[in-house]
Amino acid sequence: MSAPNSSGSAAAPAVAASIHQLPLVGAGAGAGAGAGAGAGAGNTTATLFKKLIDSCIGSKIWVVMKSEKEFTGTLKYFDDYVNMVLEDVTEFENTPEGRKTTKLEQILLNGNNICMVTPF
Amino acid sequence: MEPTQDFTSFLIGRPVIVKLNSGVDYRGILACLDGYMNIALEQTEEYVNGQLKNKYGDTFIRGNNVLYISTAKGV
Repeated sequence: MSAPNSSGSAAAPAVAASIHQLPLVGAGAGAGAGAGAGAGAGNTTATLFKKLIDSCIGSKIWVVMKSEKEFTGTLKYFDDYVNMVLEDVTEFENTPEGRKTTKLEQILLNGNNICMVTPF
Repeated sequence: MEPTQDFTSFLIGRPVIVKLNSGVDYRGILACLDGYMNIALEQTEEYVNGQLKNKYGDTFIRGNNVLYISTAKGV
């Protein structure tokens, strides 16, 4: 306990910075640790999640929906509800007949049905 | 909400494809769009399983049904 506390104020920004550098799997573990250590510095888990997705802006992401649907595309923007603007999108729909793909230029995706977001 | 608003204002007056959670597509000219993704469309065409089923003049789509709003090349 004393070791994290001694570097507490310095460690919190380091965690935030590492979010952008680490691959998402590592950043996820960092977010868990950072939530405890960084609470005093105003780094709530909410802002860390936001930074996690923010680091994906401009890069290709993979969005898995609650239903049998997936999207890949370049993330342009997202908001507090994780509504997203995606570019050069491919929509995948898993149906009993097989996998159906649709190409779309630019979409505003409703965040309500999003399950998971990860770099593609 | 702000940056996604840029995209929505860009879309107004353009042909769009609105896909609902049920899988039904609506193609038409976007007249109006709000933060709930409530949508008003003009010259609307309803596509079920990719096939044109109906045409409407003006339609209102309640936002909770909307999966995505997409730009359309030619409608």
